[in-house]
Amino acid sequence: MATIAPSHDTAIEREALGWMSDPYGHFDYNNTRIHTLPREEVEAVQLAAMNLRLAERRQQVQVLAKLADTQGITSLASLDDMAPLLMPHDIYKSYPVSLLAKQKFAQINSWLSRLTRHDISGVDVSDCDSIDSWLTRLRDETPLDVGASSGSSGTCSFYPKSKLDYRLSMTGMRVQLAQKFGQAPQPGDLDDKIHAIIPLYRDGHASMGAFGKYSCEVFAKGDPAYWHYAFDFKLSSDLMWLAARLRAAKARGDASQVDVPASLLARRDEWEQAQKDMPNQQLAFVNRMISELQGQRVFVMSTSNLLYAAARRGLEEGLSGVFAPNSVFMGGGGAKGVPLPDDLEEVICKFFNTDRMISAYGMTEMNSFSVQCDHDRYHVLPWVTVFLLDLDSGQPLPRHGKQTGRAAFFDMTADSCWGGLITGDLITIDWDHPCECGRSSVGIEKKINRVSEIQGGDDKISCAATPAAQAEAMDFLTGLEG
Amino acid sequence: MTIRPISYAVLRGQVIESDLIEFGGRGGDISFLAPDPAKIVDRIPLASPRLMEDLYTLSFEDILDYLAELGTKLELKDNPYLQEALEYSYATAPTTKPIMDSFFHDMPFMFDKERIRGMVDFNIGIDHLEGWVEKAINGSKVGIRAYGARTLHIVAGNGPVLGALTVLRGAVTRGDTIVKVPSNDPFTTGAIARTMVDMAPDHPLTKHLAVAYWRGGDEAVENRIYQPHNIEKICAWGGFASVKHVTKYIQPGIELISLDPKRSASIVGGEALDSPALMQEAASRIACDFAVGNQTACAAARMVYVLCGTDDDGVERLKELGRLAYEAMLKLPEVLTTKPKRYDPSLKSQVDTLRYSPDFYTVIGGEQGEGAVIVSHTADRVDFWEFLADRTVNLIPVDTLDEVLDVIDAYTQTVGIFPESLREVVRHKGALHGGQRFVALGYAFNGPGLVGPQDGIEPMRRIVKWIISEEPLPGRVPFWEATAEQIKVVA
Repeated sequence: MATIAPSHDTAIEREALGWMSDPYGHFDYNNTRIHTLPREEVEAVQLAAMNLRLAERRQQVQVLAKLADTQGITSLASLDDMAPLLMPHDIYKSYPVSLLAKQKFAQINSWLSRLTRHDISGVDVSDCDSIDSWLTRLRDETPLDVGASSGSSGTCSFYPKSKLDYRLSMTGMRVQLAQKFGQAPQPGDLDDKIHAIIPLYRDGHASMGAFGKYSCEVFAKGDPAYWHYAFDFKLSSDLMWLAARLRAAKARGDASQVDVPASLLARRDEWEQAQKDMPNQQLAFVNRMISELQGQRVFVMSTSNLLYAAARRGLEEGLSGVFAPNSVFMGGGGAKGVPLPDDLEEVICKFFNTDRMISAYGMTEMNSFSVQCDHDRYHVLPWVTVFLLDLDSGQPLPRHGKQTGRAAFFDMTADSCWGGLITGDLITIDWDHPCECGRSSVGIEKKINRVSEIQGGDDKISCAATPAAQAEAMDFLTGLEG
Repeated sequence: MTIRPISYAVLRGQVIESDLIEFGGRGGDISFLAPDPAKIVDRIPLASPRLMEDLYTLSFEDILDYLAELGTKLELKDNPYLQEALEYSYATAPTTKPIMDSFFHDMPFMFDKERIRGMVDFNIGIDHLEGWVEKAINGSKVGIRAYGARTLHIVAGNGPVLGALTVLRGAVTRGDTIVKVPSNDPFTTGAIARTMVDMAPDHPLTKHLAVAYWRGGDEAVENRIYQPHNIEKICAWGGFASVKHVTKYIQPGIELISLDPKRSASIVGGEALDSPALMQEAASRIACDFAVGNQTACAAARMVYVLCGTDDDGVERLKELGRLAYEAMLKLPEVLTTKPKRYDPSLKSQVDTLRYSPDFYTVIGGEQGEGAVIVSHTADRVDFWEFLADRTVNLIPVDTLDEVLDVIDAYTQTVGIFPESLREVVRHKGALHGGQRFVALGYAFNGPGLVGPQDGIEPMRRIVKWIISEEPLPGRVPFWEATAEQIKVVA
């Protein structure tokens, strides 16, 4: 493929470097500024950043080097030139799944090392006997905090993101949620400790488990008194993977073929206890919110269905919360494929005494969350380039008019992995329509589908399906002899 | 001006070409016209089961005569309806021109009397269709006979022979046959039916065939037709979604014969890699099972398990087998297989992804959308094994036969075996796991053909109604004369 080297514009490159290294700081954490940049300027900076990142990362991320070499691409003359370098999300599960069953973590580790710029070759994982222990080892000894997610075909995908990636992600959440669009940030928006109410797990390697920890850092400024989670245990990735395999086996018609390693069986009692405590922990969580946090500024963030579960539990107990007016209630995320109750918004709004629940669009494989505006569009941060790909040809659709296609992104802020990703989501963007909310940033329409749902069948156990999958796996484990 | 082809409705001896409305073909690459289903819906089902009577004025030999004559009229060179259907089908079919040409060219062979006789006798038994097959059991004379049923066939579009096969099956079983033609083969069955109308417009076999197109899921049409007073059985081919969709019409009085989505896999013994000659033979056999018909049929192999072991040596030899299988695929004649019409882009993306895991997979070919051989280096099939298509096969090394049997399940149709020494154990254990058809590797498409039993679903035995007749034999004591001890109602 012939490429023309773009003319170097040092001013733009300097700007690009600023966005890449410290995106929020570069704009003084001002959400209004971030979302009102002129489109041409944004695209020029994005292109410069793409070229800088390509030059840098192809030296560091082996899979990218091979991809770029195969395509013969050394530089990009337009945003769309990036399309061949976007990686399908499947690449993060392109290892043989039997290695997991046989606990060959050294081999999986060396596969993983091709996907990140961080060197993990020196980490000894030979004694790891579970996904949890392997990922904990990596988290303890490297900059990585790998994001794990399971699919219903019995696979598990590993996205080797870094702790820095998670922090950036959470910072983006705070910047976008705490400020009122159109106004300069208030001092408290940036620096105060804010109560983070996260009806999720204390810890874990899936986003549902990791989210809480980083909210504590970014919202609660590390003060555990400001961090409120629902489930006081670590969401086990081994259990999630078992759930995925059970679903796959059930679909095949024979669940007895699922082998459970001894290391998993050994933890059965511990999990069973945790699972049993869940309803109590949830109630205690709701009570604590009501009694301790009345009138305070709180940020409630979770998947819609867990938020719903907590709110409904509260209403059933005759409780409801009254928090400070500048509180934020955010649900959504990963509900795809899981039916949501009809009274979802009603119950959540009633319990939290708010007239609006907002939502955000994002995924484990991206740092940047897109937060929904008052006109129901998910606005994309300027350091993320959105591509809509034709479902058939995989080619980028024109960046004008109203287009629907497979979502792909290049996130220049990605610290650990190559930021170019092709997702399984089908999204719509009206490129020519400036959003009524006043943001000039790209707005994704509210209706988002999984491509595979359109084409029949879906493989992802979404965040929303996590608790049900865990329960299924526990039922299976407790039913086993021994 | 573009000519928009017509998917003719042919209803019980009448060709309908009025009230045409437009339908889009699959993939949006061709649109065609068909009679507005709303206008013809009430003429599609048979008005009354009483009207089946005329089929019983025909002997089985009469039926064979009719079909044999039809066969002679289905010579492509002499039949303008088929010529037109073939021309238009190039655009709608999932396969390519040479393969379609050969399907159409071979169609008359399907109507050969002796082939049909063999098919019916093997699957149902001609005597069961011709009269009551009687046997004395427990003091009664019990007769069993196969009666024709009113069956709606929802035909798949992955090969144009399926319409012809459905017409054949309906005729020999004295069924009343409704064919809902698929959008990726909307012309062929209509062309056959038009030939029947020209040949014998008032013949009972012509009168008991209704062919029409409507959009699958068109509830206004389906709710009218899919009723127990109209049909007794639905024979549905096709993908998971379309079969699943049909299930909502199933109620007491309507039986579903589900030709479920199936996949096929093959098993190769380690000794097949022992000599260059054997390896070449195995490779040629593998190519025949996955590439023929461009892998659109369910009998086409998607995965080949090789008992070569998972050590480095085994994997190296497997890669060599993969290269040979890839070359063998390219050498097959174009009446059997060609470069696919369109290589599924999401499959391409998934295949390409594996190129970046060289420790675990070797991908041979596939750069040009011509098909590919994926060699796993561990005993794992690829994650997207359910979507392998367009001449893409996965070779998987295993250490033991048990590992292979674990992946044979209820969705497995054909299992190719090589060498033959594996047959006994593979077909016995494989049958327990769900495998339905065990063939010699390389012969998945080179057996008795579609006139054979197809697979374990036994569609021919199931589109008929099995009727029982009982008479007491002399000496049987009637209840009104029996003592209490003599009466054994249950036994």
